Amino acid sequence: MAKKVLIVDDAIFMRNMIKDIFASGGFDVVGEAANGLEAVEKFKELRPDVTTMDIVMPFKSGIEATREIVKVDPRAVVVMCSALGQESLVMEAIEAGASDFIVKPFKSEDVLSVVRKVLGSA
Amino acid sequence: MELDLSKYLGLFVSESREHLDALSRNLVDLEKSDPPGVPAIVDDMFRHAHSVKGMAGTMQFDGIALVAHRAEDVIGALRGRSGPVEADVVDVLLAATDALQAMVQSTAGGGPPGAPDEALVARLARVASALKPAAGAAPHPAPEAPPAAEPAAAVPPPPAAPARLAVEVEVAAACPVPSVRGYLVLKRLEALGKVVSAAPGQEDLRAGRIPDRRLTATVETALEPDAIERALAQIADLSQVAVRPAEARPAAPAPPAPPRAEPAADPNRTVRVRAELLDDFLDVVGELLLATARLRAVGRAIPEAQRRPHDEGVDRLHGIVKDLHGKVMAARMTPLTLLSDRLPRAARDLARRSGKQVDVAVSGAEIEIDRSLVEDIADPVLHVLRNAVDHGLENPAERISSGKSATGHVEVSARRERDRLVLEIADDGRGMDPERLRQAAVERGAISREAAAALSDAEALELSCLPGVSTARVLTDVSGRGVGMDAVKKAVEALGGSLAIDSRRGRGTRISMRLPLTVAVQPLLLVRVGSEILGLPVAKVHGAAEVEVERLERSGGAPLLGFAGGHVPVHDLGRLIGLPPARTSGRRSIVVTEAEGGRVGLAVDQLLGQEEAVLKPLHRPLSLVPGLSAVTVLGSGRPVFVLDVPRLVAA
Repeated sequence: MAKKVLIVDDAIFMRNMIKDIFASGGFDVVGEAANGLEAVEKFKELRPDVTTMDIVMPFKSGIEATREIVKVDPRAVVVMCSALGQESLVMEAIEAGASDFIVKPFKSEDVLSVVRKVLGSA
Repeated sequence: MELDLSKYLGLFVSESREHLDALSRNLVDLEKSDPPGVPAIVDDMFRHAHSVKGMAGTMQFDGIALVAHRAEDVIGALRGRSGPVEADVVDVLLAATDALQAMVQSTAGGGPPGAPDEALVARLARVASALKPAAGAAPHPAPEAPPAAEPAAAVPPPPAAPARLAVEVEVAAACPVPSVRGYLVLKRLEALGKVVSAAPGQEDLRAGRIPDRRLTATVETALEPDAIERALAQIADLSQVAVRPAEARPAAPAPPAPPRAEPAADPNRTVRVRAELLDDFLDVVGELLLATARLRAVGRAIPEAQRRPHDEGVDRLHGIVKDLHGKVMAARMTPLTLLSDRLPRAARDLARRSGKQVDVAVSGAEIEIDRSLVEDIADPVLHVLRNAVDHGLENPAERISSGKSATGHVEVSARRERDRLVLEIADDGRGMDPERLRQAAVERGAISREAAAALSDAEALELSCLPGVSTARVLTDVSGRGVGMDAVKKAVEALGGSLAIDSRRGRGTRISMRLPLTVAVQPLLLVRVGSEILGLPVAKVHGAAEVEVERLERSGGAPLLGFAGGHVPVHDLGRLIGLPPARTSGRRSIVVTEAEGGRVGLAVDQLLGQEEAVLKPLHRPLSLVPGLSAVTVLGSGRPVFVLDVPRLVAA
């Protein structure tokens, strides 16, 4: 059965691109969220296998959302989508419970390989 | 390539000392501790001995390593035992700790540690093997027999201990942020076990440092190496992952194998600095203060109208130098570990020697004072403690018959009172007898019978600080105060402090020392006598008056100045320092300051005002001149001697 993915990013462009990458890799994109608040709600509702999380977003940051999601489900897999220069934020996200991270600009195989690894299906 | 070990010597010495101090503290605690608390202390002790052994081995100080190893054997044998630890065992371990301290100390200067004391090594081995059967009889399911004489690494881990694994990963070259990846690895490892050490550590990774994209860590975990490997396989961008058992190592939270590995978490970043460097800093800052004062003095020659820019510049410089001075002084502040480290041990030794039971309570060891004072107060404090145990406290039988507990109590406390440190040593022993002190002082010819009779009881207690009085043998036994209170008082005063005694017969004695927290810069009152300029510590000055000397009352030839409701004898300062006789009539300034047994007035020609001065100690032969305590240099470049009034008047 295809793994379920929740994509969190405030930019539609990014969400679409990530959606395409996952679709090409045989994943099932079950939902999208545009901010941290929405992300936590969607996570509770959809219980995805993996959540990709932008860091800087309105209303609630990706770090805060990650912290809440991991509190809801300690085994949740959250992969941060970061940019160069956000190293310390990524470390903070790791503290908050993120499982791994990808660095923008990314290639589709990078995204898929990180997510597969973290799901133990590489 | 041969490793240059001398580079690590400083660290070896300071870290070994810390471990040995802690070990010594542990040993004293061990005797006082209830059985449930013992295993934790023993574990601590093992770690300290083990660390010293490991470091010494690395430094190739085989003698130190051997003694540490034997001590570790004894401590190992204590593991898993229940019940109290025999005083003999503590004795031999204390002896070993002392021997190790001495050997470490002798390496500090770059010399060899010296050969280990064969008798001590043999004694340690005997004690260790004597303890072994007891370990076998312990109720624990799998008491391990500690090795008595195997080589260093042969200490087996105790039963239920998690294994130590060495983890090594390399981040793929393609990863744009390798340090974050390293951080993720570290966090993952923390979730799987206890990260004992990691290189680079968390702080370095946060700062983006991960040399060669490699991370090594030692992890204590109940998991198999495979399981760790599988967990790390879920992290992307790692080009290499290796997990293997770390080399055999005791399970006590011993320090990591590579001695310089960064600890995983390091919230308070500190650096070690050679202590002498701090002294040098202070000297240099002192010179800066003087140079600034000199500049200010030079400026006075500039016509008033053009002086402002100069003065502003000097003001600013002075501000900066003061700021720097404050920071240097702050860097020199060090906690009173003397209290926590040395006192309990000293009290224990004293008690054991004298056959008394003593409980020492220490508080305030966290208070920080200047490092030079830490050294200097050690002797007086230990001296007073010795008096308290040797002479103040009664033996158990005597205590019980006077309705006290068999165990005597000594309380050593430190606290801050504004810019002063107050150190008190109080015992609940027999107290001092003012009447016997009066008699002894008269017998020794220290004061006249009339003067003795005129003293209040509180003042009579101060007689114990007179030379000769306190050393009186008869007093030692009767009054409860022993030798050398005069030496204690002198030492405290030499530090710019004061001493107070409070004692109740049958109830105990309290000695209070008020000491400065810092030294070096002291306000001085400058006075002129003839053509000489001299400095008096302002802290000791009670006041000043201007009088006509011939109008003063006289008693036995010495003029008396009415001051603060009493009378103080007035001395001519010029005569005291051996100047040709000054005029003795007319108006003169009199400074009232402290001397042996009370206040005195010093007649001078002129009061020149206060100056902040950096005091420099005197060296021979000047240090032998009684009455001089230090020297300083004025802004004008003129050297000024600072007077030690008590000694000057007594001389």
